[in-house]
Order: sequence, then C-alpha cells, then structure tokens
Amino acid sequence: MNVTFDEKQPIFQQVADIIEDDILNGTYREDEQILSVAQFSQLFQINPATVVKGIGLLVNEEILYKKRGLGMYVSSDAKQKIKNKRRNRFYNELLSNLICEADKLELTTEEIIEMIKQLRKE
Amino acid sequence: MDIVLSCDKLNKKYGRTYALRDLDIQLEENVIYGLLGRNGAGKTTLLNVIAGGLFANDGTIEVRGKKLSKGALPEDCCFVRENNKLFGGARLIEILQFASNFYPNWDWTFTHKLIQTFGLDPNQKIKQLSRGTESLVGNIIGLSSRSALTLFDEPVLGLDVLMRERFYKELLEDYANHPRTILLSTHLIDEISPIAEQVYIIDKGSILLHDEMNQIRMSAHLIRGNLDAVATFTKGKRVLHTESYGYGKLAAIYEKLNDEDRLQARKLDITIENLTLQRFFSYLIEGGH
Repeated sequence: MNVTFDEKQPIFQQVADIIEDDILNGTYREDEQILSVAQFSQLFQINPATVVKGIGLLVNEEILYKKRGLGMYVSSDAKQKIKNKRRNRFYNELLSNLICEADKLELTTEEIIEMIKQLRKE
Repeated sequence: MDIVLSCDKLNKKYGRTYALRDLDIQLEENVIYGLLGRNGAGKTTLLNVIAGGLFANDGTIEVRGKKLSKGALPEDCCFVRENNKLFGGARLIEILQFASNFYPNWDWTFTHKLIQTFGLDPNQKIKQLSRGTESLVGNIIGLSSRSALTLFDEPVLGLDVLMRERFYKELLEDYANHPRTILLSTHLIDEISPIAEQVYIIDKGSILLHDEMNQIRMSAHLIRGNLDAVATFTKGKRVLHTESYGYGKLAAIYEKLNDEDRLQARKLDITIENLTLQRFFSYLIEGGH
C-alpha cells in the first residue's frame, strides 16, 4: 500500500494531514490509539523520524496526546479542532489561490459566486 | 548527535585518477543516509574504503572518535556489496549461517521473516536464484546483522518493484524498532527520497552537497516566468541551472523561500514549483555548482 507524497508540502505535514483525515473519516475515534510510528513508517514507506515530526505537530495542536508507555491517542475534541484549523487553511490557502487565479482571469466577485452556486447545485 | 563514523580528507588514487578526492563525510548515530552520485562518482570506492576493503592513499577515518588504523575493520559494521560472486554452490541458509557469525547482533527470527517476505527457499542454492534475487541475499544479511553501521551499495538494483517496496518496508520497520545508522547508495533517487533523512551527493570523488532531506525539499525549486522576471527574482539566490525558451526562462534554484519571496513571485507572475530529489540532483550535477 502506498500513498504518494507529493513535492508541494513537507512530508511530515502530509503525515499530519493523513492522520487528521483518518480522524475526520472515522478511521480513528476520539480517545483511541493511532498507528505506532513503526507501523506507520512501514505502511507508508517513509522514515520514522518524519512520522515522529508529523505526530509532534498534532501533539502541539492538542489533536493528539501521549499516554506514557502506551502510545499516541486522539484527543476528545480532535474533530472540532481539525475542522477549525482547516477552515483557516481553506481561507488562507485555497481561497487566496483561487482569488489570485480569478484576478489573472479578470473574474468579478459576482461571477465567482455564480460559479460556486452552479457547482453546489450539482 | 553522536558521530559514528567520520572521514577527513580521504584520497584514493588509481594511477593518476582520483577516485576519492579530499572527501569529508560524517555519519551520525541512528540516521538513514542516502548516498547519491553518478556512475563512477566514487560511491562504491568510498564504501569500500570505509568498510576496510580498500586502503585510502591519504586522510583519516574515525569510528566513534577513535582513529581507525590502516587495515582495521570498523567494529559492528556491515557492508553489503552490490555484487557478491563469492557465494558459489552454497545454499541460502548456509550463507546466512556463515554470515551470522560475523555480526554479534544477528537476529535469526528476523532472518526467517525476511526469507519469507522475499519469497525465498532457504535450501535453494544461490547460483540457482534468478537474476536480481541474489541481491536479496545480501540485503537479508545487511538487515539481519542489526549492525550499528550498516552500509548498502545499490541494494535494490535488479529487484522488481514489489521486491523493492518490500525491502524498503522491512528496512523502515526494523529501523523504527531498532534504530541504527544505515547508509544506502542508490541510483533510484526518487525512491530513496521519503526514506533517507540526510543525503550526501558525491561527484568526481568529492562531496558536492550534504543536507537534510527536509532542507532540500524546502529549498529545491523550479522557477518559471519571463526572462526579466526570473532574472529579478533569482538575483542573490543560489541558481543551479537555467534554460531559456523564447522570452521564457526556467531556473532551478536552491534557496529557502519565505512569504515575501512568494509575494514577489506572484507580483512578477512567476510560478514556483518544488523539485523532486531526482530533478534537483540532475540540475545540481548539470550546473556543476
């Protein structure tokens, strides 16, 4: 099994994203243990140090916590924290890039909103 | 971090040709290194000199701070060569039994797991193995040895994709559970990219670049835009290689870009792309910097 790690982001960031995705999609439930570093490393074929770094990111954001001697667990409010975090990212990255491209194409705000409405309908 | 092995100003000559020239390298404890270089750059020579198979003409090698005397083998070191014609008519299990005597940390449970993972028959004679699977024998030895310093010279040459992936998986899982210093020299640069923490690039017998994978990923970029914009943007930055096409220009650079740089790029209508390790390597060698 292989997940392609692309060049756009540091791998450890992508590791954090994968764990977050798994929390959002129900693979990990709150207060449940996540895969060990060794398992993660083997499954996705990446260096364990990178996995540790990615996990460290999520611990700092209090999305994961460590249980001494047992491993890494999902925080009880992890889902909400992730959604909030991703909203910010949506705004600062995805939307910013969208506006940038829209400016290049000289699209008005109304035109953009119209396009969004069309897509949402489908 | 503790330094497991360090080489200072290694020189190795063959006649008038320098295979290794003023080469400095330092390997830290518990890190996976990628050693990249073109054919003939000196990868195998370097590994041979470190592992004691060859004598350098000049320079010193230190193992854990102690100078290695000429002819001495570094303790707790396993070197898996690219070609092993020495096995002859022996059976796989016999070779492994023989090898296990040299490595105090050898783990037979792991060995048997590897034999299974790689789909080998322990009683099969080595010379009956299909091409490419011979390298699996060396790889099993390298992994089972659990040596503090394990060197692999082109460990996956000749292996098909499935076997390559199995090798990487076994390597990574075992490394996670039993950290040690592992160095892999390879041509398959993009494959090693997620696996290696640090990279040494060797060219014409010397180290051209040494950096952490993270740093390379953050600094290796391909810039695209019109001639003037690219010239403005790349001023003062480390440019590896450029190519022009009409009024457009590509520039491969090695520089960390901050928010200001990215804003400037947007204003100049410049696209920034991150380079894969392999393309970075190509541009670096091509540019000769």
